[in-house]
Amino acid sequence: MSFFGFDTTLPRDEPRSGKSKGIFEAQDPFAQVRQARKLQAFQDTQEEPLEFDDTYDGLGDKLEEAGDDFNDDTFGGGVEAGTISKGQISKDFDFFGQTAQVSSAIEEEQLRYNLQQQPKASTTTAQTTAQKPKKTGYEKYQDPGYIPEIQAKSSVWGTKPQARNQEEQPERISTASSGAPPAKRMMSLEAVEAAMRAQSQPVPPPQQVLAPDHTQNLYQQSVPMRQYASPDLQQHPMATQPQPQPTKPIQYHQRNASKQEAIKPAQHPIQILQNPNRAQHSPQPSQDRGTIQDTQPSRPSQATPTIPVITHPQQLMQLSEEQRKAYLEEDARRAKRNHKIFLLSKGNGLMTPQDKNFITRIQLQQLVTATGNSGDADPEATLAEDFYYQVYSQIRGAPRQHPTQPLGHFAQTYLLQTGGRLNNRRQAVNGDNHMQRMQQQVQRAVEAAKLKPKNKQLIIEGSLGKISFSNAKTPKPLLNIKRPESTDSKPATGKKANAEVRSSDRKSVLRNLETVYQDLMQLEDHERQMPPPPTAGDVEAAQTHMEWRQKTQVLNSKLWRDLKVLEPIVPGSTVPHPFIAFLSFAKGKKSIPRIFRHIDQEQRVTILTMIVVHLDQLDVISRAQIAPGESHPPPLVREEIELFSQVVMPCLLGYVSEAPINIIIGLLGLVLDHTTVLTVAKTKIGLGILTMLLSRAELVKESGDVNDEDWQQWTTLYDRLFDTLEPVLGALFPGPVNTSDDMYIWQFLAAVGIGASPEQQQRLVLGVKDRVMETVMQSRTLPADMSSQRLSNVNLFMRAIGLDVELLG
Amino acid sequence: MADAGEEEATSVSEPLDLVRLSLDEIVFVKLRGDRELKGRLHAYDSHCNVVLGDVEETIYTIEEDEEGEETVKTIKKQSEMLFVRGDSVVLISPQAPS
Repeated sequence: MSFFGFDTTLPRDEPRSGKSKGIFEAQDPFAQVRQARKLQAFQDTQEEPLEFDDTYDGLGDKLEEAGDDFNDDTFGGGVEAGTISKGQISKDFDFFGQTAQVSSAIEEEQLRYNLQQQPKASTTTAQTTAQKPKKTGYEKYQDPGYIPEIQAKSSVWGTKPQARNQEEQPERISTASSGAPPAKRMMSLEAVEAAMRAQSQPVPPPQQVLAPDHTQNLYQQSVPMRQYASPDLQQHPMATQPQPQPTKPIQYHQRNASKQEAIKPAQHPIQILQNPNRAQHSPQPSQDRGTIQDTQPSRPSQATPTIPVITHPQQLMQLSEEQRKAYLEEDARRAKRNHKIFLLSKGNGLMTPQDKNFITRIQLQQLVTATGNSGDADPEATLAEDFYYQVYSQIRGAPRQHPTQPLGHFAQTYLLQTGGRLNNRRQAVNGDNHMQRMQQQVQRAVEAAKLKPKNKQLIIEGSLGKISFSNAKTPKPLLNIKRPESTDSKPATGKKANAEVRSSDRKSVLRNLETVYQDLMQLEDHERQMPPPPTAGDVEAAQTHMEWRQKTQVLNSKLWRDLKVLEPIVPGSTVPHPFIAFLSFAKGKKSIPRIFRHIDQEQRVTILTMIVVHLDQLDVISRAQIAPGESHPPPLVREEIELFSQVVMPCLLGYVSEAPINIIIGLLGLVLDHTTVLTVAKTKIGLGILTMLLSRAELVKESGDVNDEDWQQWTTLYDRLFDTLEPVLGALFPGPVNTSDDMYIWQFLAAVGIGASPEQQQRLVLGVKDRVMETVMQSRTLPADMSSQRLSNVNLFMRAIGLDVELLG
Repeated sequence: MADAGEEEATSVSEPLDLVRLSLDEIVFVKLRGDRELKGRLHAYDSHCNVVLGDVEETIYTIEEDEEGEETVKTIKKQSEMLFVRGDSVVLISPQAPS
C-alpha cells in the first residue's frame, strides 16, 4: 500500500512482494488504472501491487520533524486518543474505518446510477467515482448485499484486480493471459491454508464442503454463488478463494476446451447460454466481467431496445420477469444463430488465394492441352488428341465436319455449350457477359500456351539424364521398354508357319480375329489420310496419291490374307474352315460390314461363296438345329442368329441384290451340291439365304435380261431344291402353331411359290395346307392386331401363289 | 484407331495380348474379396482395369450359425455394365460359352 506511503504489507504477503510484478511489469498498460484505483486499494488494505519501497523516494526521511508540537491540537488525535503513541498511530491508523463508509456510500450511488443507465453501466460507474477513470471490472461489487470487509478480501482479491486489468485489454482475452497473473504469486496450497489459519477466520463446515467442489468449477462461479449465498456465508467464498487460484488456470483451460456445456451445480443459466458465444469468440475466462463482454461485438448491438444490455448476471436478476424471459430467449436465439454461422463457416478460409490460383491454373492447363497444339503441322497428332470424339462427331455429322478443322475451336465449342446451358438455366442478365469474358480469357490463355514452345524434355547441362515432363495427353512414362523388333518378328513368323498348318482351335481363331481388326484399323486410318485427288498438272499430288493407293492395296491384301477366306477347303474335314470359324464369333460377324467397305466386288463374291459353301457349318445354322420338343434354339445361339441377320445378312443381301443371274445360279448350285439342304432349310439364316437367292432370281427374270440358257439352268436347280424340300415343307416350322416368329418361313414359301410352276404350286399348297389352316384358325382367337399380323404373314405366301386368306373364309 | 503403328500387334508378346483375344467374349474375372465376375469383356488396359457387359457377380461370404458351423453363402448380382478397377483383379480367364 503506497497511497500514503505506508507500508501496510502484512507479514504473510511479504514473500510475494519480490516477484509481485511478474511478466507484466515491464509494460503494464494498466498502470494508470491501477493508480486510479488506489482509493479502492484502501478497501483492500493488504492488496497492493506496488510496494512501498518501490515508490518511496526517501524524501520523508529528510522531512523536518521539528515543529510538530501542535499536531495534536491541529488533528485532535492526541486529545481523543491521548495515550496512543506516535508509533502506534503509524501502525493502527484508522483511515479505513472512515473511508470505508464513504466508499460504501459511493457504491450505493453507483448502483442506483447503474439501474438508471444500464447500458453504460461500466463506464458511468467509472465516471461517478472520480477515482476510477477507467472501467475497472469492479461493477460486481455493486451487489447491495456487498459488505466491503477488508479482512476477508485482503488476500483473496489480492491479485484479482490485476488479473482483471490484463483481461480488459482486448488482445489479451485468451486464457493464457488470464492464467498468467496467478503465476505472480505461486503460493502452495499449504501456504495459503497456513495464511488463512493465521487470519484465524472461522470457516463454517458447509463452506468447506463446497470449496473443493469449487476448485473444480469455473473461476467465475464464485460470483453467482455469492449472490445466492446468505450474508453470513458471503465472506467465505472470498476467504477460500486463494485455494483454487493456483490451479485455476489449467482447470479453466481444460474446461473451456472440452466441456463447456457441462452443467455445474451453481452455474447460472445465462452462463450456459453464453457458452456458444464464448466458443466463437475468444474464450473468456470469466464472463461476469462486464468490461470483457463489451468486447463481444454481437452482444450490445443485438439486444433489443427494451432489453437492457446485460453485462452481469446480477443485472439479469434485477430485470422484470418478462424482460428476463425475453432476454433469455433472445440470447438463446443468438447463441443458436452464432452456432449455425460457426458450423457454416467451418471451411472458410481453408484455401488460400494461392491455392485457388493453383487449381485454376491446372484447369486452364487441362483446357489448353485438350485443345492441343493446333499449330502443329502433323494432323495425325491433332487427330490422336480426341480420336473418338472426332470419329463420333463425323458419324453423327456434328458441327465439326472434317478432322483437320483446328482443334482450338474445341475450347470455344466447349465454352459456348456450357455458356448456353448456363444461360438457359437461369436467365442471368450479365451471365452472358461473364461467359464472354471467360471465353476471351480462355482463348488468350490457349494462344499464349501455343506460343510458348513446348519442351517435352529438359536437359540440364552437365547432367547425365533428362527430365521429361508429363501432361494429360502424354503422361510421363515410368517404364520405357522398347520392344525389340528383331526378336519380335522372328518368332512371329515361326508361329505363322505353325499356324499355316491350319488350326481352327479357339485361340488361333481369336488371334486371327485380332489380326483382322488390326488390319481394319490400319485400313480405316489410312483411308482417313487420303490425299486430295490430284489435279491435272500436279505431279507431286499425283505421286502422293499413287503412293496412297499402293499402300491401300498392300493393306487390303494383308486384310484379305488375314481373313483366310482363301484357305483351301478340305472336304470332309472335322475342323471348320478358318473363315467359318471366324464367323462363329460375334466379333467376327461384327467385322463383316467393316470389311465389306474395304474390299472389292470380287472379294465380296468370294466371301459370299465361302459362306454359301459352308452354309451348314455356320454356327448360326449348325447350332441352330432345334432339338425335338423345343421351339427355340438356346438363347446364346439365338443371340448369334439375331446378330448374323442384323449384321452379316445385309452385307450379303447388298451384294446379291445386284448380282447377275449366273452368280445366283452358281450359289444355289453350291448350296445343293455342298450342303445338307434339309439342315439349312430348318434354320432362319439358311432359309433367309435361300429366300434371298430365289427372290433375286425371280427379280432378274422379271426384268427380262435373262437368256434362255441361264434360265434353263436355274429351273433345273429350282426343281432340285423343290423336290428336296417338298417332303419337309410342314417341318420347316420350328414349333407349334402358336410360335409367333414364323414370318421368315412364310417369306421363303412365298419366294418358292412365285417361281413355282402351277403343278409345283399345288404341291406346295398341299405341303403347307395344314399349317395355313391352323394359323388362320388360331389367329381368330387372338387379339385383333396380333391376328392381323399373323394373317398377313400367311398372306405373303398365299398371294405369291395367287390366293388370299380371305378366300379360306 | 489412331495409334495403328504396330505391325505385329496381335502376336502374343506380352501377357495382356492374351486378354486381348478375349475381347468381346465372355470372361471369368476373379476379384479380391471373394468376388467373381462373369461377363463380356468390352475393354481392358494395362492396369487390368476392365469393362464388362452383362455381368453376373458372385460374392462368397462365410456365415457362422449358432453351432459355430460355417456355411458359405453366395450372393449373385446382375449388372448391365461394370467398370472394374484393376487393382482388385486377381485373374482373367476366357470362358467358353457353355
